[in-house]
Amino acid sequence: MTIYAGIDAGSRATKIVLWDAENRTILAVDAADQGIRQEEIAMGLLDSMLAGLGTVRDGIAGCVATGYARKMIRFADRSVTEITCHARGVYHLHPEARTIIEIGGQDSKVIHLDEFGRVCDFAMNDRCAAGTGRFLEMVAVRLETPLDQLATLKPHANGAAKISSMCVVFAETEVIGLLAEGTTPSEILSGIQSAVASRIVALLGSRSEAQSVCFTGGVARIAGMPDALSQAFGMPVTVCDSPEMTGALGAALLAAESGNERR
Amino acid sequence: MNARPAQLSLDQWERRYRELRADGLCETSYGGPLERHVRDGDTRLRTLRYDNSPAALRLWNFLLTEERRLHRARESGQTIVGAMKDLGTVPLLCYALPETVAFYPDGAWWIPCVMELQAGLLDIADRLGVNEAFCPVRAMLGAFVSEAHFPRPDLLVCSVGAVCDDFSAIAQRLEGLGHPILWWEMPHRREADPDESAVELPGGYCAPVMLVEVVRKELKRVGGAIEELTGQELTPQRLMASIRAANEFRATLRELRMLAYSVDPCPMGALELLIAEMLALHYCSDRAEAQAVLCELLDEVRRRVRLGLGVLSSQAARIYWVNPVADLRAMNVLETCGGRVCGTDYMFSHSLEPIPTLPDPLEALARVALADPMVGSSEARAKQISRDIVALGSEAVVISRIPGASHCAIESDLLGHWIQTHLNLPVVQIEVPPLIDSALPSLQTRLEALVELVMQNRNAKEDQ
Repeated sequence: MTIYAGIDAGSRATKIVLWDAENRTILAVDAADQGIRQEEIAMGLLDSMLAGLGTVRDGIAGCVATGYARKMIRFADRSVTEITCHARGVYHLHPEARTIIEIGGQDSKVIHLDEFGRVCDFAMNDRCAAGTGRFLEMVAVRLETPLDQLATLKPHANGAAKISSMCVVFAETEVIGLLAEGTTPSEILSGIQSAVASRIVALLGSRSEAQSVCFTGGVARIAGMPDALSQAFGMPVTVCDSPEMTGALGAALLAAESGNERR
Repeated sequence: MNARPAQLSLDQWERRYRELRADGLCETSYGGPLERHVRDGDTRLRTLRYDNSPAALRLWNFLLTEERRLHRARESGQTIVGAMKDLGTVPLLCYALPETVAFYPDGAWWIPCVMELQAGLLDIADRLGVNEAFCPVRAMLGAFVSEAHFPRPDLLVCSVGAVCDDFSAIAQRLEGLGHPILWWEMPHRREADPDESAVELPGGYCAPVMLVEVVRKELKRVGGAIEELTGQELTPQRLMASIRAANEFRATLRELRMLAYSVDPCPMGALELLIAEMLALHYCSDRAEAQAVLCELLDEVRRRVRLGLGVLSSQAARIYWVNPVADLRAMNVLETCGGRVCGTDYMFSHSLEPIPTLPDPLEALARVALADPMVGSSEARAKQISRDIVALGSEAVVISRIPGASHCAIESDLLGHWIQTHLNLPVVQIEVPPLIDSALPSLQTRLEALVELVMQNRNAKEDQ
């Protein structure tokens, strides 16, 4: 067994995938909430995962860090951006994917792949939290529903509330106003999801068309979000299995590929 | 004295400076350690990385002492002309006359960056109603109001028309504050109609003869105002001498750019090259000295090229950079992400082009003014950039949007789309405010991802 580790040190959580390169299989996946000591958190999580496999850090053949705190994971062999790692992870799981939507805690991205899984182009959201997990987090707070239970607010059959602002601060005011008017949390959530989805479509710009869309990142777990994206893109959107782990999986695969090159 | 090329932090430069002094470094009157500029308030310098050559030290010192130079010019009774927006043409009228200095008030857009907002220039602009919906050049308003950075010029000249809406609005506000401006009209550059005579412009552009004549007349009017102000005549001989000096400067700059952008390993970093290019606009208020500064920089680059030495890895991704950045640090960031600049269009490419040698020097200046990339269509600019990209072997493109700048909002997408469609190169758009610190992780991710994409494409080519 030759173990490679992929660490996705994201803004909300650290995710780790351990990959067995010989048997081409995932050995373990786990996640921990992010904090201010990103390296310690990653180290603790990795050590506990390795202990579960009866090994230690010296026993892994390679390690790649990704995510916004990737540079803080100094024990990794190298760091690679989330864009490359998500592309690699999604291509492994869904080789048919040509457009990847990744919505993380702090940013959102659209990545275009060719038939070999190579990144052709990418775009990231600008300036603010619009269209990111942070935006949905604010909504969860206002709807008094924990983020991980947003899924319990099924999209409302009567349609979505109209959310005109994509600025977190202004949208929060808007949400408060809608709640005061008696708009249901489900309608508000649907409205927010439509607004986020249209923001993501805008990332495509004028230069590319979406094809075989795959949705990844933690926000993909929130019920209603894939449908909102499908509607906005006008085509089916496939959600990756364990979407929050795709970046870490890609990092582990890239670590293994580098290891193979070295050997 | 000639250490191995490297990029140094400010602290490292302190040590390097002491070593250079001990080795007998000869400095100009504006020389000295970089650290003193931090003490003067330019605190952003602490976060930048600098080339370690004495030539780069001279370049930085020349740049950062311009305010003193302008105040000395005022004290010694020289005429000071503020040349706004035209980016390189009106200064040539000024430098044609003795005891006349041109400066570039628009350059104040870097003060919020260099002083890390401590000068409060953007706050002043905010109070004047010119808020962040405008380009960071609004800092210029604050600089005029605070009078803390440059003396009040004897004449302010500003081009208007097919240039920049933001700038026109900001300059209009400035005039409303009691700073009279001599406006001159820059028409939109277009192709000649079938029944019109066309003329070739620098940079590969074309325009109808009548447009050149319009600009020539405008420059004649501006020249008349400068003559009246100084009591000196702008004779054709003086203008031609000024054009010759400008062409000498531009030739030096072209060679510097060609070497720095094309040779592997990269002999000089992007930050110093950005400043060198900016000198072409107004020569930091002393054209003769600017030429000397540039020549020393070129000598150093030639030496490094001869020895095969550089400041960056020879594997660095070759990135073409479009538009200047409000935060100088962005240029360093690209290099730490594994890229190198291998070509630029900072929106004043016409100021780098040779000025034609014509019997009528004003017509020559009119032609080069009309070659301003901002005054034509975005498609024309995209075509020119694309030619440059191909010639310089760029592997990817960064389009830096200027926050608040009305032209960037539309043009950046158009340029990106053109480059992707016609050259099939990866393009990333970024937006760089006066201080990028809060956006640094996002900027690094974009630039690193672009570099990764370039490396992926290189590997794919090797595999074929």
